[in-house]
Amino acid sequence: MEFPDPTKGTLTEEQLVKDLQAGEMGSFEQLANLYQKKIYTLSFNLTRNISDSQDVTQEVLLILFRKGHTFQGKSAFSSWVYRITINASYMKLRSRKKEPKVSIEDVLPAFNQGGFQYEKIQDWSENTESLLFGNETRNIIQKAVDLLPDKEKVVFILRDVEGLSSNKVGNILEISIPAVKSRLHRARLFLRKKLSNYFWEYKARKERK
Amino acid sequence: MICCKECIELLYSYLEGELSAENETSLEDHFADCPPCIAFVNTYRSTTLLCKNTLKTNDIPDTVKIKLKEFVDKNKPDVL
Repeated sequence: MEFPDPTKGTLTEEQLVKDLQAGEMGSFEQLANLYQKKIYTLSFNLTRNISDSQDVTQEVLLILFRKGHTFQGKSAFSSWVYRITINASYMKLRSRKKEPKVSIEDVLPAFNQGGFQYEKIQDWSENTESLLFGNETRNIIQKAVDLLPDKEKVVFILRDVEGLSSNKVGNILEISIPAVKSRLHRARLFLRKKLSNYFWEYKARKERK
Repeated sequence: MICCKECIELLYSYLEGELSAENETSLEDHFADCPPCIAFVNTYRSTTLLCKNTLKTNDIPDTVKIKLKEFVDKNKPDVL
């Protein structure tokens, strides 16, 4: 039995972009199919709002349809799409009521004069399997990411969630590679602390039962 | 020997495999004597994995997919 070739009938990203630059109208639907999930999930991770993410996805697709032919090709096409998605998501966030942010400095590791950590560190890394798919853990993780300051959050989402390289993230956000690395490290430290608090409470709750 | 503070500063580069051989040895010597820092590394790694697995599964809801399809059909430029 032969399986259909999934690449047949679909253009590669490179070809789609070429068609777009040349004003070939037939490739728009494929372009939308290729990018709408990336646009929606990035926007949803930044805004955590279904309706806003739908709006952002539509706005970005419209830009691709109307201005795609002006794309210069100076950076990767996907970097351009990510950049306009981030900007459109920030516009949505700006129009919303501001929620007080947690200072990242308050959550980063603290040390005594000898350079030892104040925090009593528990290793919960072995016990995450059973919790991973629970709704409670999911909500806690989403809330922790939502609490990250914008600069660290966007780097964390692009680098660790989307899996882009430091180079590409630097290019999208127009920041240096050391800045990408430093923001990512701070984001991970912040999230580790938030999750540690949660697993600590979870363990205590389980032991009380 | 490096302290916990220095160990955590070097952690990112260590996990990326970007440390010099000398710094890597210092860090591993520290780990050998410091179970809390080993716990820290393990939970730092797990944090990345947990967050990625959680946020990656945010798919487009079916109702939104339908609306986006309608939107694309309505707004895509006409094929000449």
